[in-house]
Amino acid sequence: MDNMTFGKYIPMNSIIHRLDPRLKIVTLFIFLISVFFDAGFIGYGILGIYVLMCALLSKIKLSHILKAIKPMLFMMLFLMFFNIFLLKTGDLLLVLGPVKIYSGAILQSAYIFIRLVLIITLTTIMTSSTKPLELTLAIESLLSPLKKVHFPVHELAMMISIALRFIPDLLDEAKRIMKAQASRGVDFNEGTFTEKIKSIISLIIPLFISAFQRAEDLANAMESRNYNPEARRTRYQILTWNLSDTVALAVTLLVCFVVIVMSFLI
Amino acid sequence: MSITFENVSHVYGVDTPFEFHALKNVQLNIKNHSFTAIIGQTGSGKSTLIQHINALLLPTQGSIKIDDYLISVTNKPEKLKQLRQKAGLVFQFPEYQLFEETIEKDIMFGPLNFGKTEQEAKEIARSMIKIVGLDESYLDKSPFDLSGGQKRRVAIAGILAMNPDILILDEPTAGLDPQGTKDMMNLFKSIHESGKTIIIVTHDMNHVLEYCDDVIVMNHGEVERHDTVTQIFQDSEYLNQLGIDLPMMTRFILDLNEQGYHIDPSINCIEDLIEAIGGEING
Repeated sequence: MDNMTFGKYIPMNSIIHRLDPRLKIVTLFIFLISVFFDAGFIGYGILGIYVLMCALLSKIKLSHILKAIKPMLFMMLFLMFFNIFLLKTGDLLLVLGPVKIYSGAILQSAYIFIRLVLIITLTTIMTSSTKPLELTLAIESLLSPLKKVHFPVHELAMMISIALRFIPDLLDEAKRIMKAQASRGVDFNEGTFTEKIKSIISLIIPLFISAFQRAEDLANAMESRNYNPEARRTRYQILTWNLSDTVALAVTLLVCFVVIVMSFLI
Repeated sequence: MSITFENVSHVYGVDTPFEFHALKNVQLNIKNHSFTAIIGQTGSGKSTLIQHINALLLPTQGSIKIDDYLISVTNKPEKLKQLRQKAGLVFQFPEYQLFEETIEKDIMFGPLNFGKTEQEAKEIARSMIKIVGLDESYLDKSPFDLSGGQKRRVAIAGILAMNPDILILDEPTAGLDPQGTKDMMNLFKSIHESGKTIIIVTHDMNHVLEYCDDVIVMNHGEVERHDTVTQIFQDSEYLNQLGIDLPMMTRFILDLNEQGYHIDPSINCIEDLIEAIGGEING
């Protein structure tokens, strides 16, 4: 539970940290689309350099990013495994009894691996360089045109920010309850199947009770302040678009444009 | 069971930007059968320290010896579970650990985990509920129907049910009303008298004076002082500097002595104090 690195904000003062959160969301979105255009290894090389630049500029340690990739390794290997054995494109390379391995399958598996690594790395850079509240602010700002069609943008943003706000609290709470139950002889790591179920119950029930209690307290606190989602409010934090944001957007668009064009030419 | 800390350090989040040195080179020996208070400001490492005693946290440096158990960086005891039975830890707001349908089942949970039979555990539950001051009719109730103070009693009964030799309490009276606080402290006193070692984290110096023998003062992750209650409260300047008030009674005696009385400042119960003042006035 201590190695929850994925999605954790790391306070630092870097160019990437200072970029507008709206830009970071849009950039990630554009990147996610272009990563699925197959522009060969040169294309992925370009995207790789782009991600590497982001990582260097954000001053986030490589070890932190590797830690975020690690839990995904199993899924990556799982996907690669099936791709290698099931895809039947390209030349036949190897025959192992009933199993036939084609060159296209190997290529595809390599692509999948590269794509996932790139996606996870960039997402980690974004979440560790942007405060959760900034992200919500950005989501609200980006979705604000939808207000015209009466989409509850503010409510959605509020829900997201409350959810994000309580993740660390609930994690702490879970850790605390686990320790309290461990003090009563629960072993969360070992034991038979029924013992494991029992130990998980001893964690889940108190956690749910405390989560509901928190929700009720928060609802009461909001109501006693007369919270009204439709009220007009001013902001403490105002998102400002700087020159560096424009430059970052231009670079991203250029990189993605090149990769997408290349994928059509190949 | 005496507890010895040898050069124990604990660092949270090693090699992350959140690295925090919670304990620094702690040397400590807590005597068998003592009633020891751990005091110090929030964030001074009190909770980290006590979680080492039942090996919930392992030291990042140094070792802890409790009877035959040695806990160190390289030597994680295999019989951890037995250690947790011997050193019962009651967390702050322990009522959050309740989860069973009935109070009886919840108290039985610990003993069952430590290998007691269903029948034995039931008997333990029946006697424990009385020890914490509730009657047997509560056993069939749901723990979630109780008041906050009653829930805490049940949670403490759940730890006592494991029959630990060392009872570690993290601010057990936080948020209780005055009567509940008094009952709770008297409960710990009687458990101490039955021959157990008690370690209590508290901010209430009046409790320290009235119930404890020894005091450990924590400051910024270090054990600054480990002395008897009398010795610690003689050094009011030192405590002041840490932002800790003297107990009401000690303060009162010192004020009287400034006005010309000669009362022993180590007095810790109201009857003795009255007698001492009466003695001075009449004599």
